[in-house]
Amino acid sequence: MRTLGEACLLAAFVSSGFAAFACLAGAGLPDRRVRRAGTWAARISVLALTMVAAVLAWALAGRDFSFAYVAQYSSTLLPWHYALSALWVGQAGSLLLWAWFMGLLALLFHWQARPPRSPGSPRPDSSSPDLASPDLASPESASWPDAATCSVFGVLMAYVCFLTAVMVFAADPMAASLSAVREGSGLSPLLQHPAMLIHPPVVFLGYALWTVPFALALVALSSGRVDGDWIRQARPWALSAWTVLGVGILLGADWAYEELGWGGYWGWDPVENGSLLPWLTGTALIHGLLAWQHGQALKKTTLGLAIATFALCNFATFLTRSGVFSSLHAFSQSPIGWLFLALMIGLAVGGVVGVLRRRELLAPGRPLRSVLSREALVLVATLALLLLALTVLAGTVSTALSALISGRAVMVGPAFYNSVLVPVGLTLLWTTAMAPLLRWGRGPSREQKHWLVGSAGVGGAVAGGAAWLGVRQPVGLAVAGLAAFAVVAFAGAVLVDAARREPVWTARGLLAALRQGRRQYAGFVIHLGLMCLAVGVAGSSLGKREQGFRLTAGQTVSWEGRRIRLARVAQRELADRLVAEAVLEISRGGRLEATLVPAQHYHKRQQEWTTEVAIHATWSGDFYAILHSGTAEGELFLTLVDNPLMRWLWLGGAIMVLGTGLRLWPGARPAARWAGERQAEPGRRRARGGPVGKTKLERRTRHARLLNSASKPFSWRPRAAQVNHDTSITTAAGTRVDEALRFADDSPADRVGDRGRRDGGPAGR
Amino acid sequence: MTPGVKLALGAGVVVGVTSYMAYVGASASWQYYLTADECVARAEQLADRRVRVSGGVAVGSLQVAADRSQASFALQGATARLRVVCSGPLPDNLAEKTEVVVEGRLEPSGVLRGDKLLTRCASKYEPRPPDARGGP
Repeated sequence: MRTLGEACLLAAFVSSGFAAFACLAGAGLPDRRVRRAGTWAARISVLALTMVAAVLAWALAGRDFSFAYVAQYSSTLLPWHYALSALWVGQAGSLLLWAWFMGLLALLFHWQARPPRSPGSPRPDSSSPDLASPDLASPESASWPDAATCSVFGVLMAYVCFLTAVMVFAADPMAASLSAVREGSGLSPLLQHPAMLIHPPVVFLGYALWTVPFALALVALSSGRVDGDWIRQARPWALSAWTVLGVGILLGADWAYEELGWGGYWGWDPVENGSLLPWLTGTALIHGLLAWQHGQALKKTTLGLAIATFALCNFATFLTRSGVFSSLHAFSQSPIGWLFLALMIGLAVGGVVGVLRRRELLAPGRPLRSVLSREALVLVATLALLLLALTVLAGTVSTALSALISGRAVMVGPAFYNSVLVPVGLTLLWTTAMAPLLRWGRGPSREQKHWLVGSAGVGGAVAGGAAWLGVRQPVGLAVAGLAAFAVVAFAGAVLVDAARREPVWTARGLLAALRQGRRQYAGFVIHLGLMCLAVGVAGSSLGKREQGFRLTAGQTVSWEGRRIRLARVAQRELADRLVAEAVLEISRGGRLEATLVPAQHYHKRQQEWTTEVAIHATWSGDFYAILHSGTAEGELFLTLVDNPLMRWLWLGGAIMVLGTGLRLWPGARPAARWAGERQAEPGRRRARGGPVGKTKLERRTRHARLLNSASKPFSWRPRAAQVNHDTSITTAAGTRVDEALRFADDSPADRVGDRGRRDGGPAGR
Repeated sequence: MTPGVKLALGAGVVVGVTSYMAYVGASASWQYYLTADECVARAEQLADRRVRVSGGVAVGSLQVAADRSQASFALQGATARLRVVCSGPLPDNLAEKTEVVVEGRLEPSGVLRGDKLLTRCASKYEPRPPDARGGP
């Protein structure tokens, strides 16, 4: 099995290298055979990586200690699910998982970038002279895959090749044990937690996903085609990457919260910072893409952010694998971290050079018209995110840099990060709260101004209410007020939009507004999730209380309005561990609220104790119990922690995932799935799609026009896709592609305004 | 005043406040990061200063209070030992021969009074060697 794995790993390395070369070199060649050979090599590479992963999983499941990796991270006492999770726990295994994800995503990108296959389309003539033109590309066409897709695919496969090369030359997951091993080391007890089963793969998937926007930006920069095409393709990938990495970070926080036994979830540790950095720049990137699409702004910044985010993913890997940075998490001295650092530096330098080279193409499209426009808000939010990212980066590398420069290593503590987080975080929350009631390209309408004032009033009232309830910290009051502001502003945006559809507010208008503006509102749902998360962070940071207790069985103490009774102490023995647990009865107002069982586990194989906390979670906060130790006389030492609003933090994460799902959920077919289709002549769709005037799009458009001509001609709001189709089909005569794309995700209100302007009608209310 | 100028002023305020807060936070929390050997060698200069020191827990030196609220041990460097008394939450895997990082204040007596103790605990990348002789 090991030999098979070695052979597959080598095959993956060679084929991914060939795929990258063929796709990048073949992109500029008229002969499609080179590109297609590259595509097939990529498929072989991913198949080979799948085989390597399967071999390693098989070895882990069967505890085959002839594999050095299995001997290091597994044991016969380990439950099967943790034995399998060892696949991504070690250095070599996590690289394998990352490379495998990367390969699968490369194929997914290639698949989703395919032009739609039409039933009536003729088989292409392979002798067509227009081989390099993407205009008439189809899955069967001679020009597929087109040059741009091929280049992006080549970049993705080059990264697969890089990761595979690291495995082949420096971290071989198939390496043999040097001696006969009867029992493995097992998995660190601290890693035996449900969140740890999925935290590493989710983070690696996030890193892999960020590679796609990077590859698109790189190809756009190198080819000089920095129009709207790469933006349209990059946005869903960027949003997916952002969400997946965010979920990974939250899973890590959950692990720290429950497993480390100190009631905290974030310690500004270098490893934590490493994963936070690409998330911060990625957040800025997503908003930069929006500003570019809607306002022709932030072009250089957005391209730079796409490269920086991917570079920071490599920097995070350097942090965890170089041994340079001291962390709560373990590191080993390994040369592979430096490979990732070299790649990051190369990307940073190359990115700056590339953006400077294309600076003329990346000039802003139009000046800022209002400080109360979405462009202005995105600019401020991007600045705040970059400031926070720079702060985190500076704090993280401060030790290594100071040692390098002055010979004395100096580091900053959590107070440094927390101090910066206050102004930056409040700025971000302010922009987040305001966003729904602002428009692209101009200031708010009269109705929107009214709602802004109303939202501010409600926010102030909620902050006042929080103060009356006993919240004294200004930051806590500000967060409460901004959260209320955001909720009211979101409701106001929907109602303003609905009112534009129907003269009187009706459920129909409301539903139409929500349905037709789904993608935009999904973004605001993500914003609400962020607000919710901020409430949780503020509550648990500012209001945390803890107290140590010494209790004997039957003893009762009162704390934070609760009575805590140690009902009994129990001990039991499992196959791999000894368990000592305390049964605590928590009551409030004479009513039993919860029974908590904090415990200490002694892991026989590792000869280590672990603390297993017990948590009673409610919407007002977490009641968190930690059992430290006990005496032979039956006295237990416990710490009780009251963490206010913790559940809101996790809820915020869930809402953000929900918002992303709503945003990415396929709706009406995007107007221009690929460049060739947008630039095709108007008659082509008819020729391939059926009789004139019978397409779904044309039926919908005609129906909408009929409806609106009967009632409110000026207020017709076409679906985004319809606008795109209309615009893209009729822009073959030369209208800029990015002009057509700009309306894809406009708010309905914006679209009305823009359409009104284009038609010479009213520019919105 | 154009919208661009207004926005630049607002951005300037955000950058200014953030920079000031970063300065305040760094002033309050910066500390030397030393090995046990360096800390012992510069003990007089570092007296009453906040430091972060790395080293191994010396064999035979670890004493943990019954309620695990305090531990004392010697931090072993390559050539020197630093006496440490550490309060606060103790990691589960604090043990002799473990690599640890202690944050705290160095007393004039040469004892490091720690308030934060980190171990290289969740060792994903460098586990202890497997047992070649048999099971536990």
